[in-house]
Amino acid sequence: MENERIEEMLELLWTLKEAGQDSLEAALEKSEDEAPKEVFDALVSQDLATVRDGKVSLSSAAEKRAREIVRRCRLAETLLAQVLDLEDRDVRDTACKFEHVLSSRVTESICTFLGHPPVCPHGKPIPRGPCCLRAETQMRPLVSRLTDMDLGAEVSIVFIAPVQHETLDRLGGFGVVPGRTLRVHQKRPSFVIQVGETTVALDEEIAREIFVKNA
Amino acid sequence: MDAHSVQLLTDRESSRQPLSVLVGNPNVGKSVIFGLLTGRYVVVSNYPGTTVEVATGHATFGKEKNVLIDTPGVNTLVPMSEDEKVTRDILFNPRLRAVIQIADAKNLQRALVVTLQLAEMGLPVVLALNMHDEAKSRGVSIDAKGLSEFLGVEVVTTVATQKRGIEKLARAAASPGVPGFSVSYADSIERASEDIFALLPETLISKRYIALTVLSGDSSVLGQVAGLGAESRARIVGIANRLQSSYGEPVGYLINRRRISVIERALSQVMVKREGTSRGWAGRLGMLTMHGVWGLPFAAGIVWLMYQLVGRFGAGVLVDFFEGTLFGEYINTFLAQVVEKTVPWEFVRDLLVGHYGVVTMGLTYAIGIVLPIVATFFFAFGILEDSGYLPRLAIMSNRLFKSMGLSGKAILPIVLGLGCATMATLTARVMPTLKERIIVTLLLALAVPCSAQLGVIMGMLGGLSPVAALIWFAVILGVMFLAGALAARVIPGRSSDFLLEIPPLRVPQVGNLLAKTGARIEWYLREALWIFVLGTLVLFLLDRAGALGLIERAAAPVVVRLLSLPSEATEAFIVGFLRRDYGAAGLFMLARRGAMDPVQIVVSLVTITLFIPCFANLLMIIKERGVKVAAWMVVFIVPFSFLVGGVLNFVLRRLKVL
Repeated sequence: MENERIEEMLELLWTLKEAGQDSLEAALEKSEDEAPKEVFDALVSQDLATVRDGKVSLSSAAEKRAREIVRRCRLAETLLAQVLDLEDRDVRDTACKFEHVLSSRVTESICTFLGHPPVCPHGKPIPRGPCCLRAETQMRPLVSRLTDMDLGAEVSIVFIAPVQHETLDRLGGFGVVPGRTLRVHQKRPSFVIQVGETTVALDEEIAREIFVKNA
Repeated sequence: MDAHSVQLLTDRESSRQPLSVLVGNPNVGKSVIFGLLTGRYVVVSNYPGTTVEVATGHATFGKEKNVLIDTPGVNTLVPMSEDEKVTRDILFNPRLRAVIQIADAKNLQRALVVTLQLAEMGLPVVLALNMHDEAKSRGVSIDAKGLSEFLGVEVVTTVATQKRGIEKLARAAASPGVPGFSVSYADSIERASEDIFALLPETLISKRYIALTVLSGDSSVLGQVAGLGAESRARIVGIANRLQSSYGEPVGYLINRRRISVIERALSQVMVKREGTSRGWAGRLGMLTMHGVWGLPFAAGIVWLMYQLVGRFGAGVLVDFFEGTLFGEYINTFLAQVVEKTVPWEFVRDLLVGHYGVVTMGLTYAIGIVLPIVATFFFAFGILEDSGYLPRLAIMSNRLFKSMGLSGKAILPIVLGLGCATMATLTARVMPTLKERIIVTLLLALAVPCSAQLGVIMGMLGGLSPVAALIWFAVILGVMFLAGALAARVIPGRSSDFLLEIPPLRVPQVGNLLAKTGARIEWYLREALWIFVLGTLVLFLLDRAGALGLIERAAAPVVVRLLSLPSEATEAFIVGFLRRDYGAAGLFMLARRGAMDPVQIVVSLVTITLFIPCFANLLMIIKERGVKVAAWMVVFIVPFSFLVGGVLNFVLRRLKVL
């Protein structure tokens, strides 16, 4: 049995339960799989689900796995809808594919990038991940504009938003490229940063396009 | 300019000697090492067709005599500035025997980006890790042997300011090696560069370098490839464009990022950096001088020192000696006697030593008055340049210049313009966009008085109340901002982002400073002396033909009615076109005779400061910006300066503040 079909079924069962439904009949009816019964039997044979009186319950391992799938799906939806401004149809279709391929590291990065959103674009809760729990104690988005950093902060460059090509080239010439660590030296009257042993003065407009995280 | 024909030392012996080149990032101590390697006989000249100064001398490596060229500092050999282009072109010279790369030991990553490009060019290199002592005290220790093995070239540690390691460097330069250090880039970039390889004819320059440079977005390098057909050229550019369109970021930037990441990894093997080392007094001072609040008293203090040096010492003490004593009491008196005895024709006598005499007016002026002022200014400017202070001034003034469509970078030509607007017009090239260059040129021509003129103006204002000086200063500054803000709106094109490296503050090396000042004084004499002579001749002939009086009468409605000035002031405006300071000096004489009241003095000074630039400056504007732009500037400046003068005259007479 393909992993993807299993995961789809797990997701369906989890979301139905979230909505307060746990009958097997409803699940088999709503499934988009060609042979839903076959998939469900596979779940049972793998000890992922059990049925009693027509009601489904998931094993704790299956529960955890389903939660993660839903988390990936809803994070992907948020990313596609809020950051990339895609149409709702595209959002659903693409997110449906993403949920099967995102690794846990990538998922964490997306979650952090989005600022650990509590709900997806459709208003459903996004299951919390380990990064969200960490963020609750630190309460800081991972990526922010260089201009938002405090004086003296040591930060590493995550990406530089597309400014003029020439500016990007000149920044590169000074060694200001993603991955490098820099220090915010002063903000006024001009922005001054220190990269290694190089001191560079730049417009606030350029500094705003440099996205950094705490080193 | 064909790079292969570049010949900076033209004597026959030099043209047979092999060529070695000093290369490195800006501010790594290249010039000091150049001085140590070459000794005394050095030629500083502009690289053909550019404003970039290149020093050339002789140096002995092993037993072989070499011509050694000191190139402008570069961060990359894919040129993004005129400096970088000059350096790159020099590296294309087929007689090149060795590249001596100077690196700042504490900033090795940026140096190795250049080393890597030299490796891609297939050039033989020795690497000097200069300022080794500074690196050590900053907690950076480098395994020079390990680095040498990694790069496959000899690595020498030096401390140029203490002359340490220089002999070793000279020995190493006798046997340079091509770095065996290379980087592979993303597959699509490598594939594209192989496609370009196939289209290139056999060349002296490495094909890999050419391919990567074209892919980085600089197809001008193809102009250096002999025997490349137009069709191949078009196909190569097509390959580069196709590759670029498949990426969201500039390919050159991706290549550069890849270089930096490979170098960082390599450096972690050979370099150890301890944390928490102190920056030293120069570092702390350097930080203070660009601080939003503390930087201001520094800026004011430096302006005051400049004024003391140029305004008081240069324009006061030195001018008194040169003009008053040397020319006034000895040279002119002596020559007058000689001419009196030996020349029978009165016309020639007057031409040489008369009222408008070539010697008594032209040369006295050029050498007696302007030279001491300009020389002290160039010296002071050299200190500002070599100490690394100027870019800090750019930080302080960036916002001010933004309102004029410029960036803080404009402070460099503007400050230089306070010395000589003609030279500063040439350096307007440091501004990245055409729009900015035009605005800088306009401001220089309109509102920035040169040091010679400033000296005379200060002398006149000194005799009036401080309010008069304040009015003059406020009007000039106001006009500058007004004109700049207007020009920023009217002139099409875009302004550039402000992005400037701030070098560490350093104590200037006296030898270096003197050499630079000397080269600039020589430039001044070559450029300006003949104009003084020519200007005096024109005046002399106008005077003889009786045309001076005609022009004065024609200009009377403006000069006398609008500005309420005595009609002789017209003469000052005429000669003011020949040399700005010349004109101010004419007004100076009028004021001294008591022919003008305070309001007239202030009005005349404001008008002559704004009035069209001197002849040399105008020629320079035409050369740099073209006849059309120059004509527009004159059409704007002449009526505008008289208009401002007229309005000021009206206001001052109403307010009665003077």
